[in-house]
Parts: sequence; structure tokens; C-alpha cells
Amino acid sequence: MSTRHSRAAEAYLKDDAVASRHDQTFFAVRQKRDRMAAALPEWEDLREAASQIKKHTATHLADYLERFERNATRNGVSVHWAEDADEYNRIVADILAAHNVRKVVKSKSMLTEECHLNENLERQGITVVETDLGERILQMMKLAPSHIVMPALHVHREDIGACFRRLIPDFDEIARSYDRPHDDPNDPTFLTYVARMHLRQQFAEADAGMTGANFGIAETGDIVVCTNEGNADMSTSLPRLHIVSMGIEKLIPDYASMGVFQRFVARSGTGQETTVYTSHFRGPRPGGEMHIVLVDNGRSDILGDPEHWQTLKCMRCGACMNTCPVYRRSAGYSYTYFIPGPIGINLGMLRDCHLYHDNLSACSLCCSCDNVCPVKVDLSSQIYRWRQQLDDLGHASRMKRLMSKGMAALFNRPKLYTATLRFAPLINVLPSALVSNRLNPWTYGHTMLKFPRKSFHEQWKQLKNEEKK
Amino acid sequence: MSSREEILSRLRHNTRETFDMPDLAALTPITFADPVAEFIHKTTTTAGATLIEMQPTDRLDDLIRRAYPEARSVASNLPGVRTDVNPDTVAEAQELMHVDVGVVQGCIGVAENACIWIPQQTKEKAVCFAVQQLVILLPRDAIVSNMHQAYALIQTSTDYFSRYPFGTFISGPSKTADIESALVYGAQAARAVTVILTPP
Repeated sequence: MSTRHSRAAEAYLKDDAVASRHDQTFFAVRQKRDRMAAALPEWEDLREAASQIKKHTATHLADYLERFERNATRNGVSVHWAEDADEYNRIVADILAAHNVRKVVKSKSMLTEECHLNENLERQGITVVETDLGERILQMMKLAPSHIVMPALHVHREDIGACFRRLIPDFDEIARSYDRPHDDPNDPTFLTYVARMHLRQQFAEADAGMTGANFGIAETGDIVVCTNEGNADMSTSLPRLHIVSMGIEKLIPDYASMGVFQRFVARSGTGQETTVYTSHFRGPRPGGEMHIVLVDNGRSDILGDPEHWQTLKCMRCGACMNTCPVYRRSAGYSYTYFIPGPIGINLGMLRDCHLYHDNLSACSLCCSCDNVCPVKVDLSSQIYRWRQQLDDLGHASRMKRLMSKGMAALFNRPKLYTATLRFAPLINVLPSALVSNRLNPWTYGHTMLKFPRKSFHEQWKQLKNEEKK
Repeated sequence: MSSREEILSRLRHNTRETFDMPDLAALTPITFADPVAEFIHKTTTTAGATLIEMQPTDRLDDLIRRAYPEARSVASNLPGVRTDVNPDTVAEAQELMHVDVGVVQGCIGVAENACIWIPQQTKEKAVCFAVQQLVILLPRDAIVSNMHQAYALIQTSTDYFSRYPFGTFISGPSKTADIESALVYGAQAARAVTVILTPP
């Protein structure tokens, strides 16, 4: 009854220290988020408002996109439309080629991961430098993100230090200019300083800056980018060319809506009252150019799916991962889709249900994700619905299908059911080797349950009889 | 059909049911009896910035020098600030990366999260990000309680986005916790921020 996720998780859990640390790291973020929610009396009203704004926008998206395009164009921005990843990659490559760009600095964007932009550009000889510290670490180590907001928290400082020493050419020179005493050669403050000096060099040299968009505002044509490091701002303050990659679902109607979402992104995602920078871009910098590429890549089809269209409300804050007990104890790489956790399970299924169905097992249906999602995406219900479809999709586990048939046979024959229950306690006295073995998944990871002497059904009848007397 | 037309028509075709925009005026967001006190508290704690309350007798240059006594260069275009570099006239924004202190005017302070609205006011916005340390001037009477109020002010004002198409909320220095969750100030942008509350 295993899936690729469950097998990967099993391997991950072999190192208990690593797994526990991962669990604690993200649970701490979840707790910070809880403190943020408790500090705002209007929290639940905000969630409802945010959900309604997103539902409204998603169901008027064509109108809002046209409005956004009109305003952005008036602001001097070139707006492009990409139906899929290939078209998106082509558009970006063409813009870069037209400007003879050799090096791009880039702030974090899940959309570019989705479309494999970096690989595409590098194939064309363009150097792409990720500038979010976590993303840069992963890029240098040739690893994928393990989380959408805190992508490299699973990497240990020793490995980061070793990687910097190996791959940053002027590491020693930078290290000599660091003047604060530190005993640990991999002290996070020291390593962050090294990264700062290294990345600032990249900003200065780059010919173009690329950002994602946390939000697009239809009313004004703004795109809004939120970061703590200021790397999106550095990427767009030094090079003259700015390319924005924006999924079409990132649009919101107006500034009043922006007030709601600005208050949510950081509080939900990282448990901060705000990100350090919330930057509104309404046009190219003086003497520069700004392009926005609006990317569909399957989103307009999701809108037509009555059971799953509300995933379009997601603003990629990561709260559902931080709270998910399965994510916390299996970590990002156990999932087969590049976005892990509850939202990733659903987005993976929507991307390709035959490729990513293994992740459906990564849910205990505890529903915690539903309760923290700031835009009220019904994540666990959607996972449940996908599971109901597994048999039709041809991916149901054979053992589970057999068990379901057996259960159905039993439940449809009350006499047989009662008789079976009466004999069930016999299992209690069987030698454990007969019960707790590989054929019985119930005993994997926990001990076999004890059947009570009398079933609930019998006890209930008895109670009723006593009441009558 | 172009991709644009394809996407728009597919969206229209796939919209099965429409939902209304909620009444955002019905929200009752948090307000503070003393927004200035809350702003000062948030700025100096969670945001990790320094804050100076300017007195009518203070000179701005003295305060800036007191905040960053070792600074060798200051970049600003604000009147009354002694500067070495003018972000309006530098040939390349890269020059601002080597400036010790940038001084900019903030227009709205937000008590709930220590955000300060800084519309772009110089040709190079790098003065807000690329410099080593940032000083933000903010009038005491420009502080509101929450982001809803701040966005309402920005939306109704004609002061912003008219000269330059950019504005940003900044709350403290650049920071990261990407290495083992350890909080470090000074990631890529300004590594320290001092807010000077100016008398009304």
C-alpha cells in the first residue's frame, strides 16, 4: 500500500535527528503564525474577505486581466501573454536576446520553477543568478527547493559553508573583510555576510532583473513584490531591464484588496507582521524597460473544474505546509511535485494526475491546513475528493481495492458482520508474529489494536435492555 | 487566435458561476489609541530599526551623524541634508552601492507593522536599497494604525507615482533567516535603518 511519497518519507524518517529538527523548525513557524492570528481580533473576518475577493476575481478574471493590461500599458509597461511554459520561456528569451543580456539576477518565483525557466536560459548561454539567499544556496548546491517560502531550511550550515568556500571565487577576500569575531567558521551571520558581498557583486554586473509578482492590481496596473532581503528591489534598482513573471491568478481588483492581502502574506507564511519590503512597481525605471509576462499554463482550465477551481485563490504563503504534520515529518523532497505540502498535492494533481498521484497519500485528513489557509482553500477536502477518484484514474492501491470489496461484502450482510465481530477478540490471543507482520498494514508503525470483548453494537443493545427494565 | 485571445476566451468559457466583491468597508481592522507609541514600539522591536524623535531644536545633519558617526558618504536629494552623492544626478545606480548612508523621506507610517511608505523621489531608487544604511524621515503626524488606512491614503493621493512609477513600504533593515532559521540583519539591501520622527 506504499506510494512514492510514503517510501521516500520512510527513508527520510530513518534519521530521527534530521526529521525531528525539520519538524520543530516548521512547527515553530506555525506557532509564530498562531501568535499573529491571535493578535488581530479581525483575523477570521480578514480570511473570509480574502477568500471572497479571490473568488470574485477568479470568476471575473478575463475582465480584470484586460483592465490590468490596459493600465499597465498606459504606464509604459509591455504586457505579454503566455499560454504555456514553452511560450513563456520563449517570450523571456526573446526579450533578453533583444537586449543582449548575458547575466540575469532573479528574485524567487515559483512560476519560473514551474516553467523550468532557469534551465532554458542556461541552455542559451545566459547566466541566471538566484538572489534570494535560500534559493542561491540551493542553486549553488544544485538542489531543488524543499519549501516554497523557506526553500533551504533543510540544509545545514556546514554544507552551506563548504559550498560557499568551493564556489564563491573571492570567498577568502570577502572573509577577510568581515570584522566581527566568530568562533564557528559556519556562523550564519558570517555566511550571510559572505552571501551579501557575493550577491551585491551579481546585482552590479547583471544586465537584467527578473521578479515574480505576489500581486497584480487591476485598478492601477501595479505589480507588488514582497521580500525580506530586498533582493527583488536590488534586482530592479541596478539593471535597467525588469521582467515580471506573473501567473494570471495573482491578480486582485484594487488597493482596498491589497490592504487585506498585505496584512496576510507574512503573518500567515512566516509569522511576521509584514515582510521588510512591499514594493509597488507601476512602470519602468527612468531610462529602463519593464515587461510583464502573464502566464496561464493550465490555470484557465482549473477555473472550469468545479471541484478544484478554488486552488486558484492560493497566494503561495506556505502556511499549509508549516502546519501539515505529514510535511513536517517527511520534508519537501518526499513529494514528487515541486511544490510540497497540501497545496502542492492538489496543484500536482491538477498539473498531471497520472504523474503526481503518489502525493495523495501524504495527508492524514487532519484538516489543519484548511484552518490556517488565509484564503480558505479547502485543501484537505480536495485531497479527499481526489482519493475518491483514484480508482477511476486507475491508480487505486490493489490491496485497498480488495479491502473495500471485502468490507462492502461484510457490511451488506448484517448476520455475517455480527458473527465476525463476535469472533474478532480471538485475534487478541493469537501470537503476535501471526498478527504483526508485513501482511497487516495496521501493525506497521504501531501495535495491533485490541478488540474489545463486546462490540459497541452489543453494549448498546445491552444498555437499551437495561433501560427498559 | 493569439494567446491573449485564447486565454481570455477560455477564462470566460470556464467561468461557471460568478461571485460578488465583498464589502471591505465592513471590516473593523485593529486601531491603536496611540498609533505613534505603537509605531515606535514596533519599529524598535520586531522591525529591528533604530528610532530618533527629533526635537524642534535639533539639526537633521547632527542626528544623521549621531546615528552613523563613521559614515564617510551620504546620499540624498532632500533639502537641509548635507550630501556627498545626489541620487538624481549619479551616472549609474551602482555608485549608490558604495554610499554609507542614504536619506529618504517617508510619507506614511503604519503602527501595526512599522511599515513606512516611501514613494520614489529620486531618479535612482537604489538610494532606498543599495546603500549600506538607510535613514528615513517621517513626520510624527503621518502615522496611521493599519495597512487599510495606509492604502486608502495612497489611493486617494495624487502625490505618489506621478513623478516616478514606484513606491515601497519598508519596515526595518534587510533581513534573512534562510540559514538554519537564524535571524540575520543585512541580507542584500540596507543593513541598518534609522527612522527619524520629525515634528509636525
